[in-house]
Amino acid sequence: MSYDAPIKEIGETYLLPEGTTANDVTETIAGVTENPAPRGWWLLFLASVSVLGIMGAALAYLFYQGVGVWGNNAPVYWAWDITNFVWWIGIGHAGTLISAILFLFRQKWRTSINRFAEAMTVFAVLCAGLFPAIHTGRPWFDYYLFPLPNQMDMWPNFKSPLMWDVFAVSTYLTISVIFWYVGLIPDFATLRDRSKNLTRKRVYGFFALGWRGAHRHWQHYERAYLIFAGISTPLVLSVHSVVSFDFATSVVPGWHTTIFPPYFVAGAVFSGFALVMTLMLICRSVFKLHGIVTIKHLDLMNKFMLGTALLVGYAYAMEFFIAWYSSNPYEQWVFLHNRLGWGMLDSKGNWGPLWWAYYAMVSCNVIVPQIFWFKRARTSVPIMLIASVLINIGMWFERFVIIVTSLYQDFLPSSWGMFHPTLIDVLTYLGTFGLFFTLFLLFVRWVPMIAIAEVKGTLPGAHPDIHALESRQEEPGTAAAPVPAE
Amino acid sequence: MTRRKPYELNPGKGPSMWRSLDEKNADPEELDRLAEEEQPGGFITDLLSPKVLVSRRSFVQGSSIAALAAGLQGCVRRPENEILPYSKSPEHLVPGVPSHFATVTARGRDALGVVVTSHDGRPTKVEGNTQHARSYGATDVRAQAYVWDLYDPDRSQSPARRKGNGLVDATDEELDKALKDLISKHEKDQGAGLRFLAPISNSPTFRRMRDKVLERFPKARFHTYSAIDDDNAREGAILAFGAPIYASYDFARSAVTVSLGADFLGLEPGAVANGYRFAYGRRIVSAREYMSRLYVVEPTYTITGGMADHRLRLSAGDIERFTRVLVAELARRGVGGLSSLGDSLGKLPGGLDVEGIDRELLGAMADDLVANQGRCLVVPGAGQPPRVHALCHAINYALGNANKTFGVGPIIDQKDEPSRKSIAALASDLDSVQSLIMLGGNPVYDAPADLKLGELLSREGLTSVHVASHRNETSERSTWHAPLAHELEAWGDQQALDGTTSVQQPMIAPLYGGRNPIEILASFAGEENPNAHDLVRETHQEALKAMTASFLMVGFPPDGTSADGIWRGGLHNGTLIQPQRGDGKVVVGRIVEALGAASAKRASLSRENFEVVFQPDPALWDGQHANNLWALELPDPITKIVWDNAALISPATSKALGVKNGQMLRLSKGEAKVEAPAWIVPGHADYCITLTLGWGRTAAGRYGNGKGVDVNPLRTTDGMDFTDGVKVEPLSETYNLVQTQTHNRMEGRPIAIDATLEEYREDPSFASYRSVDPVSTPPLWEQQDYSEGYKWGMAIDLASCTGCSACVIACQAENNIPSVGKIEVERGREMHWLRIDRYFVGDDENNPEVAVQPLTCQQCEEAPCENVCPVNATVHSPEGLNDMVYNRCVGTRYCANNCPYKVRRFNYLDWHGHLDDRFGWYTDFPESRKLQFNPNVTVRMRGVMEKCTYCVQRIEKARVAAKREDRRIQDGEIVTACQQACPTQAIAFGDLNDSESVVAKLAEVNRGYKLLAEVGTRPRTTFLARIRNPNPKLKGHG
Repeated sequence: MSYDAPIKEIGETYLLPEGTTANDVTETIAGVTENPAPRGWWLLFLASVSVLGIMGAALAYLFYQGVGVWGNNAPVYWAWDITNFVWWIGIGHAGTLISAILFLFRQKWRTSINRFAEAMTVFAVLCAGLFPAIHTGRPWFDYYLFPLPNQMDMWPNFKSPLMWDVFAVSTYLTISVIFWYVGLIPDFATLRDRSKNLTRKRVYGFFALGWRGAHRHWQHYERAYLIFAGISTPLVLSVHSVVSFDFATSVVPGWHTTIFPPYFVAGAVFSGFALVMTLMLICRSVFKLHGIVTIKHLDLMNKFMLGTALLVGYAYAMEFFIAWYSSNPYEQWVFLHNRLGWGMLDSKGNWGPLWWAYYAMVSCNVIVPQIFWFKRARTSVPIMLIASVLINIGMWFERFVIIVTSLYQDFLPSSWGMFHPTLIDVLTYLGTFGLFFTLFLLFVRWVPMIAIAEVKGTLPGAHPDIHALESRQEEPGTAAAPVPAE
Repeated sequence: MTRRKPYELNPGKGPSMWRSLDEKNADPEELDRLAEEEQPGGFITDLLSPKVLVSRRSFVQGSSIAALAAGLQGCVRRPENEILPYSKSPEHLVPGVPSHFATVTARGRDALGVVVTSHDGRPTKVEGNTQHARSYGATDVRAQAYVWDLYDPDRSQSPARRKGNGLVDATDEELDKALKDLISKHEKDQGAGLRFLAPISNSPTFRRMRDKVLERFPKARFHTYSAIDDDNAREGAILAFGAPIYASYDFARSAVTVSLGADFLGLEPGAVANGYRFAYGRRIVSAREYMSRLYVVEPTYTITGGMADHRLRLSAGDIERFTRVLVAELARRGVGGLSSLGDSLGKLPGGLDVEGIDRELLGAMADDLVANQGRCLVVPGAGQPPRVHALCHAINYALGNANKTFGVGPIIDQKDEPSRKSIAALASDLDSVQSLIMLGGNPVYDAPADLKLGELLSREGLTSVHVASHRNETSERSTWHAPLAHELEAWGDQQALDGTTSVQQPMIAPLYGGRNPIEILASFAGEENPNAHDLVRETHQEALKAMTASFLMVGFPPDGTSADGIWRGGLHNGTLIQPQRGDGKVVVGRIVEALGAASAKRASLSRENFEVVFQPDPALWDGQHANNLWALELPDPITKIVWDNAALISPATSKALGVKNGQMLRLSKGEAKVEAPAWIVPGHADYCITLTLGWGRTAAGRYGNGKGVDVNPLRTTDGMDFTDGVKVEPLSETYNLVQTQTHNRMEGRPIAIDATLEEYREDPSFASYRSVDPVSTPPLWEQQDYSEGYKWGMAIDLASCTGCSACVIACQAENNIPSVGKIEVERGREMHWLRIDRYFVGDDENNPEVAVQPLTCQQCEEAPCENVCPVNATVHSPEGLNDMVYNRCVGTRYCANNCPYKVRRFNYLDWHGHLDDRFGWYTDFPESRKLQFNPNVTVRMRGVMEKCTYCVQRIEKARVAAKREDRRIQDGEIVTACQQACPTQAIAFGDLNDSESVVAKLAEVNRGYKLLAEVGTRPRTTFLARIRNPNPKLKGHG
């Protein structure tokens, strides 16, 4: 962890308000798991569990009847199912990015949000993983997708990107869970130490794996954390690249594009940040975490989103350029007719009927984030809340646009079709929010939602040379008092 | 997820379901003894005890024994007769080895010879009979679909009698007694109050029985009625030739064909044979070859119109006018035989009205005909009045086509009354009738509306007996109902219009005790225990004797030429008597007289004066197949609408009316009213509406009830083919019509490629040029080597494909493909492995050309579907087939996404269940329908992907045969289901490694191309681009 003090000359400040003590941090974060849940939590939890119940019902109906209860058809064999899958997987990207890549880049500001984002990653990947599992026609044979030894000597098809998905997503989930858990160990130990009853003590003690805060523990811990960050970092790039191969390696016009891997990764980070932002803003106000998740954090995240929005916008533009430059009529049709609508009219002079999805996507993903050029917008909670929600809607549309508007009018006009979602489509998608938020609310209630140990590391007092530094300061009284390590 | 009831084998009916082919009489003890030997442990006794429920597996196990038992026991009602297999099966009922039987199916007064495949006593598939002159080995849509009717779960399963307002089940004995009472009652009055009504029959035995009944009951009368009749052709022939003889056309030798409203490739009699011969002139394999030309004048876009080189849309009522002008034009060009006719036509009141007729086209057409005298044809439509038929006969004779391209058959059933007059006569004296025997048909539904037959039938005191396959609208109004035996269940004989006579062999004993009309008539004629087989044989006794004599005379050995031998040969080949040539001589005077009596002049069509044209549905026909799932879900060849009919209008008419597709129209003429949804068909005649018969049934069965609109209320005795003076009022509500193909244009893509003959001559390889160069980038994976062994391939000739859709149902029947219902088709989930794409071509939406393209799995060598399947469920065979492993399929649908042709089909739901309307859930699948399944093809469950396999089961069958003889599979040994059904032989299949095979040669033809070759899929199917042959004189002409 970095112990560099802010360079005041260029206007840097400490991430947390000056005067915050380590005890403040512990009390604030551990207190959430110890005090009775606020009423807001209960309301949200009940709502989430109800929505989860809806998903259960939708899935039961799905399994009883078959995939036909969704709106998927011929030629749109994939629709909301895979859209939701890619969307959730994308959301799951912010966690690893924040934990691993920003960690490697010594971005200290990540400490207030990384735990949160990692949890979100795990839950989002769980929601994502649900879709490939349930979208199959015969889900009870899903195990065929795993390379299990069997008496038929049949292996999965290693040429298939869907096969790669299985590996990529399951690896990602495993690493994310481990990474998350490793980071949690010192904090579990803190909770264990603060426990006032036996159950808490035992449960947190079990998860704390005997952590005593010894130097050796810290040494191993820091090293393991670094290694996992190193393993996770390529995964951030690989998972969504592999997911994009589902499309890029196919022959479908609109899918068959080499730009997809970086485009998908950028989009994933973009949407992940947006959802972290949305949830963060809510939790920040429900659990009064303003002191730990400051406007400065939010400002930095908004800058990140603006950057990724520009990347995504570049990819959108480049797709059109390639469609034009390749002179491929099928590709041009998909971009100019199916997406843009008016770029290429059919022989009756009609726009592509799903044009609105493309405009929804561009408005939310490219136009809306431009507001973050302005500092006032970057530091305004209502604006960033609205923008982050819109970005998530836009990113859902991006996947919908890629999947459905490529498929519904492809090569042969005779097979062209249309897609209409059914109620079950909606309920299944909605239901995954139930799953996500149920898990998430349990997480914020019972697990330290902000990395206590790491946040403390960013306090001025965590600097080993704090006294020497302070003695060199012209106004020594402003720095916080040193805090002994726990 | 279906609930399956165990099969209940009822000894009362069970054994009689199975008819063994070699039957001996044996007493029950003998039977038991034999059964004991077969299955020790008293299995058979258990099986036959009424309470026993057997599982499906033990049912199959036991069925052969049951069949044996049934055979030995003897039939329930009548002795059994021998039927002969077609050729392949030396011994019957070898389990798992299908037998093939030749039989025949009725097409009104015409007949179509077919070969039926029977698996363990269950007829499962119908194919054409190469030895039948109306089939040439191919079939139409209805022949493919009619095996389904046999297993229709809603067939009438027992006699019934009227009680109050409904029908209650009755026993066979009660019905027999009622019939006996009727006979004895009418014996007293010589049949004065006795009437018979039957659909148009093509059966010589039926006619013989009819005459015998009339001998016994001289005061009785026979009426004939079919909603789709041949009255026009019949009366036209009587007008021209003085006798009911039917024309047969040799399109193979016709260089120039003019169709005057004739859909001779689709809905007219003999369409299958016509298609076969027509394709000869179209299927050119080099630019130097000669090609025939087709002009079509018609109101509705038909598949014949789709094949036309020049098509003129003209309302049905104007075609007579067009014909008259054509006669005059031909006469003016010095066609000798037409001068007097031309003169007198000019003198008729109204004269030669040329208003609205394209003179340029007409002139070019006349020139073309004159230049090709003796090798041209003018064909009148079945819906055109007799005068047009007579005029066309006169034209053909005058152009010297007689006995060259034009021939006539023998006189057919001179005594039969014209259908329309006959039903009107029946209606008018039904008040005085005491007993009415209806041998089939459904007159309450389809008789002319003005006769109000339904009301007349309900009269107190009228005893009516209705024999029908279903308890339909007519049964509901009859005193008695009796189930009718399906054609595959009953002996009979059928004579085609060209005189070809075949014996209708049953494959299976009546499933539900169906009655045979021949036997009913025979019992009226006084026969005790009539037997249809013997009656049929008796009908042809004289002919058999005569044939024996003539064979002996030309030196055949006596043992092969006995009457028995010829009979057996006839059963075996499916043709007892070969086509006969009749002679006719056109009498011009009579035609002129008839023309004088009817003016061709009529009020021109307008917004206030619409014409309505009635035409049969290509699959449902007049409604007799209205409960047939395959027929209901067959896309109309032109509109691609399924599960409904519509009021077809032209784009201009839709603008004049201000209606959109699906908007309801109220069509009214006088009192009669029909409300039908509008559907815009480019190329339709203006102010003209085409309505399709056969829909809107109320008592068709679970699948057909309430589907579509019943248009019969508008069809009256004076306008059975078309009628004008119809008022049309657009309504505000709309109706949801569903198509299998919603986009009609190719959007400039090289898909169904065509060129004119001239363009072809200039650039013979135009097709490969326009289909873009195959990708030259190296393949991603190592290429498979196909140079050894077999390399299966298909060639589809777009020049001869008419789009008739027989192949679609053939594929469905062969491969156990489910129908999914209207809602699911709307969601784009239809399951047809073979679809026929139809595109409109050309800028003028009122006068487009039609391009059709059958599309199946292309069996790509670089199949995009295979790489993406995560579980290896679709893989390549060493012979290049793209195999689908159903057991392995998880159903990710990735393969279908990546298929550029979108020919893969996914079982989104349990299609083999029955959709429960209340819950929208699929429940039981009717047991009877399971009997139809082809045991050689897996019945797929939900969640599994499927697609065309090139009929891999047929390939494997041929491979087994070849392996046993230690040889290679010969070319032509494997015939895929679609190829077999195709009347125009547009589909060829075989080994591309065999350079002598038909398919290998076709694949090399210069107009061949691979669809979407630019994607790099390297498909195995080659399409041969269509060539059109427009008249060079009409260049730039629409």
